[in-house]
Amino acid sequence: MLEFMDYVQQAFYNASRWNSENSYSQLTATARALLEFETPRGFGLSLSSLSSPHFATSYAIGSVGLVDGSLSYLYSSLPLHPPSQSGGIELDAVIRGYRQIQELWKQEESWMWEEWQHGRRFDKRDTLLYGRLYLPQSTLEALYIRRPSPTQQLKLSAVSDSRLRNGGAILALHQYDVGKYSAETLYSTDGGLIGLRGLYNFGADPRNEAREPPRTEDRFYGRFSAGAELYYGSLNKSGGVSFGGRFATLPAHKGTPLTATLTLNPLMGNISTTYAVKAGKNLALCSKFDFNVYSYESDLMLGCELWRMKSKAEKVRERSTAAKLEWRLDDVKEKSPPEPEQVLGVLKARVDQNWKIGLLWEGRAKELLFTLGSSIDMKRRDQPLRAIGLELQYSS
Amino acid sequence: MAFNFNWSPLTADADFYKRAQEMLTTALNKSPKPPIIVDDILVNELNLGTTPPELEILEIGDLAEDRFRGIFKMCYSGDAFLTLKTRVQANPLNTYLFSKPSFTSPMPLAASSGLTIPLQITLSEIRLSAFIILVFSRQKGLTLVFRNDPLESLKVSSTFDSIPFVRDYLQKEIEMQLRTLMMDELPAIIHRLSLRLWCPEHRAKAEEEEKAKTENKENEEVPVDPFSSPPQDAVDARGNVLDANEISSLSLDGGSEIHSLFSQKNLLRLGALTDSHRTLSLFTPSIRDAVFRAWAGPSERVDSAGASTPITPLVRSHTSAPCTSTTYTFSRSDDGHGHMPSRPSLVSMHSATTGLSLGAGRHSRSHMRKKKNRVVNLRKAKTVDDGASETGESETPGRVASEPAFPTVVSEEPEDFIIEPPKTPSGKVRFRTSSIDLGESPQNLRLSTPRRSALSSKDVPEQAILEPAPMIENAEPAVETVSRNHCHSFSASSYPAEKLGSTSKDAPKAALPISHDPFLSPSPVLTESAPAGGIIEQAWILKMAGEIARRAHDEKAARENFWSSQSQDSTEDSPPPAYEPKAL
Repeated sequence: MLEFMDYVQQAFYNASRWNSENSYSQLTATARALLEFETPRGFGLSLSSLSSPHFATSYAIGSVGLVDGSLSYLYSSLPLHPPSQSGGIELDAVIRGYRQIQELWKQEESWMWEEWQHGRRFDKRDTLLYGRLYLPQSTLEALYIRRPSPTQQLKLSAVSDSRLRNGGAILALHQYDVGKYSAETLYSTDGGLIGLRGLYNFGADPRNEAREPPRTEDRFYGRFSAGAELYYGSLNKSGGVSFGGRFATLPAHKGTPLTATLTLNPLMGNISTTYAVKAGKNLALCSKFDFNVYSYESDLMLGCELWRMKSKAEKVRERSTAAKLEWRLDDVKEKSPPEPEQVLGVLKARVDQNWKIGLLWEGRAKELLFTLGSSIDMKRRDQPLRAIGLELQYSS
Repeated sequence: MAFNFNWSPLTADADFYKRAQEMLTTALNKSPKPPIIVDDILVNELNLGTTPPELEILEIGDLAEDRFRGIFKMCYSGDAFLTLKTRVQANPLNTYLFSKPSFTSPMPLAASSGLTIPLQITLSEIRLSAFIILVFSRQKGLTLVFRNDPLESLKVSSTFDSIPFVRDYLQKEIEMQLRTLMMDELPAIIHRLSLRLWCPEHRAKAEEEEKAKTENKENEEVPVDPFSSPPQDAVDARGNVLDANEISSLSLDGGSEIHSLFSQKNLLRLGALTDSHRTLSLFTPSIRDAVFRAWAGPSERVDSAGASTPITPLVRSHTSAPCTSTTYTFSRSDDGHGHMPSRPSLVSMHSATTGLSLGAGRHSRSHMRKKKNRVVNLRKAKTVDDGASETGESETPGRVASEPAFPTVVSEEPEDFIIEPPKTPSGKVRFRTSSIDLGESPQNLRLSTPRRSALSSKDVPEQAILEPAPMIENAEPAVETVSRNHCHSFSASSYPAEKLGSTSKDAPKAALPISHDPFLSPSPVLTESAPAGGIIEQAWILKMAGEIARRAHDEKAARENFWSSQSQDSTEDSPPPAYEPKAL
């Protein structure tokens, strides 16, 4: 489950019309959500509030071994209006599950952001500031996001911790996204790491106005994307590279939504494939297979998620006063389309070839969002339960 | 002074390698591993080789049967090798991300996917050169500390030898790890090992092995020798006695001369005397020129007891050793420590006290058995003697008393103890002063001759009665000159004598020292080295002074119990309560 601050951050992306999914680093987001979810450890409680459209605070306390906690503050120059009460937050907005990729949209032109008054430009760029202090470790996290233009985003994240080498690290990430393709460059002060990432979407270019209607008669209507990443640590003279491709069906697809990815790491001889399918309205399945051509090591992982939905109770129709006065029945209206069902909770499970099992149950109880999880190692008969945890979130 | 370097036993023990491998494996996996190592480190092969390390003794600060402290210089350039197996992460990006905070992680998609490679590393041609401080005590186990970085060089060969970059990296990394292992982990391992080994008591052999191991493959067997020797001593003493002397089993010892010195009459008298002690009969046979312990005040006894205990060990050491100054003689029971700051003067004292120790010998042995299972031989001797033991005791006093029989220092001793203790509170002081004062006395000259027993025999009775001090003097010369020749016989005779003097109370104490004697026989090594640690001595003295005072107190409290118990048990079986805890 997303933390409240991540939720707000997501709201900032939405508000500034930034497509955070259109990035090479998000190529396997679906598989990660289904297979590599984190199970909570210990007990955690966070109280959050979006006290104004520009400002959010969050306090968290946890018990992993000893009591620790964190304070975080967020400021956004862009007014944000996501539902912030934990009772009203849409669960599918905070729970990462099968990620249905959306149609690309055309980015706004930069001139659209210009605001002039009396011959002077007074528009400002949207920024987000976020800070988090962990106690008692005295670790400080800071994040700065800026949208210099509709197609660009600058993200600076920093960590200060006396236990880290050099006392901390800063990561600068510049993202450029025009829909059809996106490119990212990054630099990390830790090891002088330089990185390049790119993603290219095959198919129609969203920048072209002429948009063809979706050809739904095809067996598969989806999008193929391919990308690559390259890293080089300038200080430790090490590097890494990978290629990847993804095919995912789009919402207009009539059949079963599916996502398949393939990533290659030519340096290390690693091949990884994932296949995720939304088998039913409430069920998603995912599998992942890793193979290393150098060491012949392989890994298999299976996962699924089950959504528990509740349809909203239909309103009991009563005769309107006007109809009563006129001694007649209400006009018979055609049934309004059923309202989307509400999510009650999600059950996620994964198992890998070493019989390590992860279970996660996320949902809402009264006004609280909860995450209940456990990781189990079946290979260890004596003590299979490796971790169990419960996290509660309340926000207003 | 002898050192026995045993390298092969280490390797001969099949179990040893297995255990050592397990130990090493756990040790290597205990400390947090660098992220590049993704699997447990397994010790695949371990061989200590055939070349033993060179060991140089720089200093021995403390030596006793259950305690040892010394500084060594160790050089090793043997053919030992060690093979490790593990798996390493070959993707640098993977290890890079391992310890980084996720908040600033670049979140690579697949570039960080891992590639684990099995790795086999062989460490060979190990060159070590270190100063080692070794501290051993039975209770606290063995502590070994490297004074400096012991690792001089080693050769690392691995699966990646063909890649120079990786090879260099491994070499560097492993040297670093090994250094920390040697400096931090190894002492802990050794300590644990030693504790585990010594808990069950009887493991002299294991002890040796362990020690050898602990010293990082250098075997130092100083403590070992004592163990081996004691049984022989016991056997000799007992065996000889039995064979030669029908009457007095105690006087036995190797000394053929001694036998003739005892007169039947005196022995009988002494026997009657001891019997009277046991039975509480008031009859006391009159023995010429003898001072009975019972006459002395209780306080004296305490002192004497304290003094006597340390003495006996010294005596022994003299006997076996060249009789040079015995600086450190620590009885196992810790009683004697206080006295031991030993100077030559003290030494003399001890030799003098040997006389007292005679009687105690019995008790000591019996105690020995209880406390130490190692000295099997002693036990047997006892059982054999049992019948005679009582008579022996009675007779032993006879020696002291009898003028003709045993004129040696022994006879004097009892008096000395009796008379002197009250005057001077601390045993040491007393001894020194006495030795100093009397040093010039004519008797010294007499005693100095190797045949002192013969010479002194006539004089002794008088001196003993009249002047306690001269005795001490006598002792001195004995130590220096006489002891070499006659050490053995002398010491043996001394035991019975002491028994008389010390009576029941002394006996327990004496027992301990005696038990040590065999062990201490190697002590000469220590004694020589001892002068080096002057500071240590002083510390010891202080500590011991406190200890002695405490002991004396305890003894006093427990004395009456002893008496009763002794009367019942014939003094042999029950160690004084104060000693029992120490009996270890």
